Amino acid sequence: MEDLTLQRQQIIASLTEQQPENIADAAMGHWQQLADEIITIIGEAGFASLYERSLHLAQATFPWLPSGTLSPQTPPNSHRFAELGMRLAEQTQAHARAAHSLLLTIFTDILASLIGEQLISSILRAVWGNLASVTPDKEPNNE
Amino acid sequence: MNNKITIRRLPTGVPGLDQLLGGGLPEFSFNLIAGTPGSGKTTLAHQIMFSLAAPDNRALFFTVLGEPALKMLRYQQQFTFFDHSKINQSIRFVNLSTELLEGDFDRVLARIATELKEYEPSLVFVDSFRSVVHSAESEGRNVLDLQRFVQQLGMQMTSWQATTFMIGEYLASESESSPVFTVADGILWLSQNLHRNSMVRKMQVVKMRGQSQAPGLHTFRIGDAGLRVFPRAIVQPNQAVGPAPAGLTDRVSMGVAGLDEMLGGGLPAGYSLLALGPSGSGKTILATAFLAEGVRCGEPGVIAAFEKSPSQLLNNRLHALVSAGQVGVIDTRSLDLSIDETLHDMIRMIDRMQAKRVVIDSLSGFELALAPEFSEDFRGSLYRMVAELTSKGVTILMTSELEDRYTDLRVSPGGSAFLADAILVQRYVEIAGQLKRIFSIIKVRGSDHSKDIRMFDISAEGIEIGERLSDYDGIMTGHPRANS
Repeated sequence: MEDLTLQRQQIIASLTEQQPENIADAAMGHWQQLADEIITIIGEAGFASLYERSLHLAQATFPWLPSGTLSPQTPPNSHRFAELGMRLAEQTQAHARAAHSLLLTIFTDILASLIGEQLISSILRAVWGNLASVTPDKEPNNE
Repeated sequence: MNNKITIRRLPTGVPGLDQLLGGGLPEFSFNLIAGTPGSGKTTLAHQIMFSLAAPDNRALFFTVLGEPALKMLRYQQQFTFFDHSKINQSIRFVNLSTELLEGDFDRVLARIATELKEYEPSLVFVDSFRSVVHSAESEGRNVLDLQRFVQQLGMQMTSWQATTFMIGEYLASESESSPVFTVADGILWLSQNLHRNSMVRKMQVVKMRGQSQAPGLHTFRIGDAGLRVFPRAIVQPNQAVGPAPAGLTDRVSMGVAGLDEMLGGGLPAGYSLLALGPSGSGKTILATAFLAEGVRCGEPGVIAAFEKSPSQLLNNRLHALVSAGQVGVIDTRSLDLSIDETLHDMIRMIDRMQAKRVVIDSLSGFELALAPEFSEDFRGSLYRMVAELTSKGVTILMTSELEDRYTDLRVSPGGSAFLADAILVQRYVEIAGQLKRIFSIIKVRGSDHSKDIRMFDISAEGIEIGERLSDYDGIMTGHPRANS
C-alpha cells in the first residue's frame, strides 16, 4: 500500500515538475483531466465537495487560493477551474507550482482515505497512465 | 435437428443463488433487484458483477442518486469479492446524476448509450433505478413517459446483448403499479423480516422468464464474503420420507450392548430414531455411543449439538472423536438460525466427511436456536429436513427433552414424533427408594422390536442395559408396584 502512495506522489511530482511556460494553464488542464474521470465515477456533486474541501485545507498554506465554491450545476467542460488558474497566474512560477502540487496531494489524500489507495491508483492510471509507467519499479502490488 | 434457441445461463457467483434461479442467470436478460433499504441489493449486484466481470466480459455500473457513489465504493471494498484488479479493465463505474438532475429521460438514455458504445460491456447495472422513477414522479410526468423510458432501456440493453440489472428500493405494494416489473425478465426480491427481536434476511425469485425457479422465500446471510443463500429444502416428489422397505435388511449397530437385539437387529439404515427422555437421562450418551460405533465400523458421523456451548461441548468420548476428525460438528452459533441454513451446513459436512450417521442433539435446543419466525413452523421444516437427510442415505438420531409427567406419557413433544421412523423413550422411576432409569422401544417402523421395559445404568463405559422389569406393574406411572 505504501508503494501505491509513493507512486501517487510521484505522479503528482512529475505533473508539477514539468516545465511548461505557464503553470496556471497546465494546472487547469490537469484538474480538468482529473475531474472528467472522477465526475464519471462519483458525479458532479461528489467531485465539487471534495474539491472545495481540498481548497479549504490548502488555504492554510496558500491563503490566496480561491475558496472554490463549485456549483454542482456547472456544466461540464466549462471553465470550472478558471478561478484557480487566475490565482495561480498571479503568483511566481515556484509558488504556483508548490500550491498546485499541494492541492493535488490533498485532494487525492482525501479520496484515498475514503475509497482506498488501490482505487485511487487505478483512477490516476486511467488519467495519467503514461506518467505512472515512468516509474516501472513501482508496479502496484495488489496485496 | 433442434432449432430452438438455447439460452446460456450465467453462474452468479453467489453461493446458493444459481439453484434458486433454476440454473443461473439467463444471458441478455433484463433483471430487477428490488427490496427495502438495507436488504443487500447493492451488495448482491456487486457480488454478481465482480464474479462475472472479465476483460472479455466487461461490466458497466451506473450509479444514480440514492447512495453516493463515494460511499458505495468505500463500503463495498470491505467485502472479499471486491477485486481491485478488475477496476477499469473489466469494471467501470459511471455516475448519471447530472443527466438525471436535468430531468430529461432522453439525455439519461443517450448517456447510457454513449457509455455502452465506448466501453462495450456485457453486463450493465443501474443503481438505483428507483431514483429515476422518483425523479419522474416529482416532476409530475405521467406513467406513460416512464413506461416508455423503461421499455426503451430494456430494448436498448437487449439489442446491445447485455445482461442488465436494475436495482431499486420498492415496497411490496408498489410492485403492481410500476412498469419496470412488467418489462423485467427476472425479479429478485430481498427483504428483512423482523419477528420479535430477531431479523432474518429472505430472498424471493418472483419471476424468471424461461426457467423454473425455486418458489417461495429463501433465507440468506451477508458475511465478509458477501451473500450466501440457503435454498429452502423442498421434498422432491420421488423423495419419500424414510427409506424404501428394502432398506430394512441393512441395519446399523447402536453401540450399546443388547440394544440392537431390542430394535430387531439394529436400527434400519436410513431411518431416523427419536430418543426421548427427561434431562440427564442419558440421551447424549446414547448419541455418543451411536457415533462411536459408526466410527468403529468405518462410518464417519456428524453432530449438530445445540445443548452446549462449543467450549464445554460434549463428553470426553465425543470430544476425542471430534478431535480425531472422525465426527464433524455443525456450528450452531447464533439464535437466529434458519432450518435451511443448518441443513445446508449439515449436508456440506456430510458430503465432505462421507458421513453415514447424523445426530441432532437436541430438537428442543434446535428449536430454541432458530429465529422465532422459524420456530412457528418447526414441525414442517423439520419434516423437510429429515426427508432431505434420509434421502442422502444417512441414519439419524435425534434427541428430545421429555417433560417427566408421571400422570401421562407424551411421546410426541411439539408433535415431532410422527416424522421419526423409530422411537425410544427414557424415564426415571422410583424403585425401592431409588430413582432408576428405564427405557423402552416404542416404535420401529416396519420392523419387529422388543416391547420390554428395561432398566439401564450409565457407567464410565457408557450405557449398560439391565433386566426387564417383569416384577412390576404401573412402571410408566413412575410409581411401580411389585406384582407378586
